[in-house]
Amino acid sequence: MTDRSSKWRLLWAVLAMSLVVVACGGTDSADTDADETSSSDDVANDASVETSDVEGQIFISGSSTVEPVSVRVAELFEDVAPDVFVDVEGPGTGDGFKKFCAGETDISNASREIKASEAEECAAAGIEFTEILVGIDGIGVMTSDRNSAIDCVTFGDLYGLVGPESDDVESWADANAITGTDLPDAPLDIFGPGEESGTYDSFVEIVIEDLAEERGQDAATRSTYSPSADDNVILSGIQSSDTSIGWVGFAFADNATGVKLLDVDGGEGCVSATAETIASNDYPISRNLYIYVNETNAADSPALRAFIDFYVTTGLDEAVSEVGYVELTDAAKAEVIAAWQG
Amino acid sequence: MALGTIGDQDVASRVEATIQRRGRDVRGTGFRFALFAALGISTLILVILLVDVLTDGWPVLTDRLGDFWSGTLRSRSSDDSLGISQGIVGSFWIAVFVAVLAFPIGIAAAVYLEEYAPRNWFTSVLDIVVRNLAGVPSVVYGLLGLFLFVKGTAVTNWFVDRVNNRWNAWYGEDLIELGQSTLFAGGVTLAVLVLPIVIITAAEAIRAVPQSLREGAYGVGATKWEVIKSQVLPFAAPGILTGTLLALARAVGEAAPLILVGAITGRLAPRDSMFSGLEDFFGQFADRFTAMPIVIVGWVQNSGRDEGFGPAAGAAIVVLLVFVIIMNSIAVLLRNYFEKKRG
Repeated sequence: MTDRSSKWRLLWAVLAMSLVVVACGGTDSADTDADETSSSDDVANDASVETSDVEGQIFISGSSTVEPVSVRVAELFEDVAPDVFVDVEGPGTGDGFKKFCAGETDISNASREIKASEAEECAAAGIEFTEILVGIDGIGVMTSDRNSAIDCVTFGDLYGLVGPESDDVESWADANAITGTDLPDAPLDIFGPGEESGTYDSFVEIVIEDLAEERGQDAATRSTYSPSADDNVILSGIQSSDTSIGWVGFAFADNATGVKLLDVDGGEGCVSATAETIASNDYPISRNLYIYVNETNAADSPALRAFIDFYVTTGLDEAVSEVGYVELTDAAKAEVIAAWQG
Repeated sequence: MALGTIGDQDVASRVEATIQRRGRDVRGTGFRFALFAALGISTLILVILLVDVLTDGWPVLTDRLGDFWSGTLRSRSSDDSLGISQGIVGSFWIAVFVAVLAFPIGIAAAVYLEEYAPRNWFTSVLDIVVRNLAGVPSVVYGLLGLFLFVKGTAVTNWFVDRVNNRWNAWYGEDLIELGQSTLFAGGVTLAVLVLPIVIITAAEAIRAVPQSLREGAYGVGATKWEVIKSQVLPFAAPGILTGTLLALARAVGEAAPLILVGAITGRLAPRDSMFSGLEDFFGQFADRFTAMPIVIVGWVQNSGRDEGFGPAAGAAIVVLLVFVIIMNSIAVLLRNYFEKKRG
């Protein structure tokens, strides 16, 4: 009898311990939330009375690139409207649109425009949407910082190196035969994102598509490089080889060490990738970041409307640059606001 | 008298040679060194991993462990309220789901397989199937979870309808909404994932119970149920416990199935405390969730955009490792405790 009761005592002790662990976690986080809301009273006072009163839930899915922007906007919005609960996930632009067109999400983050096929899917399901431009991300083309032989690449160079006709290109010089460029003879190691990525789609659309069409090829990259979904893997690949080339989103590229951002010539001379050249559209490989809003849900939910109102004002002004992307110009912001409110 | 032969030598002369040999046993030493090297390599990899995450996570663990523990998913690593509380809560409930669902079902299945099931071709096939299931990649279980518990099939719809009818009668609203990823879906998926492991380890433990123990109990007139309850299970308890706790540690560390089931990476808005009422308590199971491995994956992905997420991910890995080590230590302690009691 004593044996049995001591066994149970032990079990209960373990159970109780684990409950305490979780209970602590729970109460602590509640405390932090309270602190946050009280510390931000000054912000709340600025906002209209209606905004702080709205209640509701908003679910955002889509691009992992845009995810931090929407999360940041939600964090700022929480101070203004504490009773609106915004959840955000980032499985990818394509997966996001699948959920969006199935009516599972209120907003879909996207690092490219919606495709015709996706728009049809939405239409078939009776989902109407509004597209809102929220910021810009450049795509940085990079090589190792030990590579001093090259500083600027043209679209032609890039087409020759990673385009659809370059499956057998193993040296930089091999690309010269394809588009008549003039690259040095050095081994070529390519690192880039895979087809599931919005960065891949944008790169193909901006850099490769026109040349591919001219030459009667499919708009795609070569099939012979190992793509990665993880930007860190791409970066360490580029660092690892002296004569590498690769591309990732500008926010990632700009922060990286051990790599050299190449200037890009899109037909109007070499332009280096900086926040300024991207915002002014001088840098040729930049992509727009969008959110897509479910119109029916927006009409039904004051919370969603208030959130979008907040997104196109404070969001565009603060959140986009805070998480490392390039803000729209003032004129572009005004256009976005007018389009949403009109 | 000849003792026999080894190779072309007879044993007597070989023993004599070994005893009188002055030089070292070269091959024996070499073998010992090879074994030691094997152990060394596996330990070295583990040490490198530990040192790597510890150095990554050290600034976070030493500077702001309290905030980190109670914080939430945030967009920027510089945010003071960046932390793991949501991941801890999610992983805790996943562990509870595994303990409540996989343990009893798995152990019961093992008892049946070892003690009741006849030895025939059917049970042999069953045995092979269970062993194969234990080796199925976890992503496949994620797909299973996605279709069964998130999107919903005829069976799950039937079950969900029953639960919702009951819940409607009490609270006037549905409890479970299919088509959305939920803590319930994540927990059940991982319970299913570790079920074969629990069955195999429990079955091994039961198989190791000496036959003489059963026979002794039958000899004094015990029924089969009494033999299992008072002899087999207590004797097998240490082995079963070790296996189940290792399975639990596995479930808590899995990321791939949860990614498919749709655990949240970006932001989970603060919820009402789950202790504020029964409805909130059960409601959380039908709500979106995240878990420690997902938090880590999300932060690692963000670390290129915002370097500070690297240390945060390192610190989260350390916390997860500590939890797994605690679980494994409890397994060892419990096993020793029961083994000592067994005598």
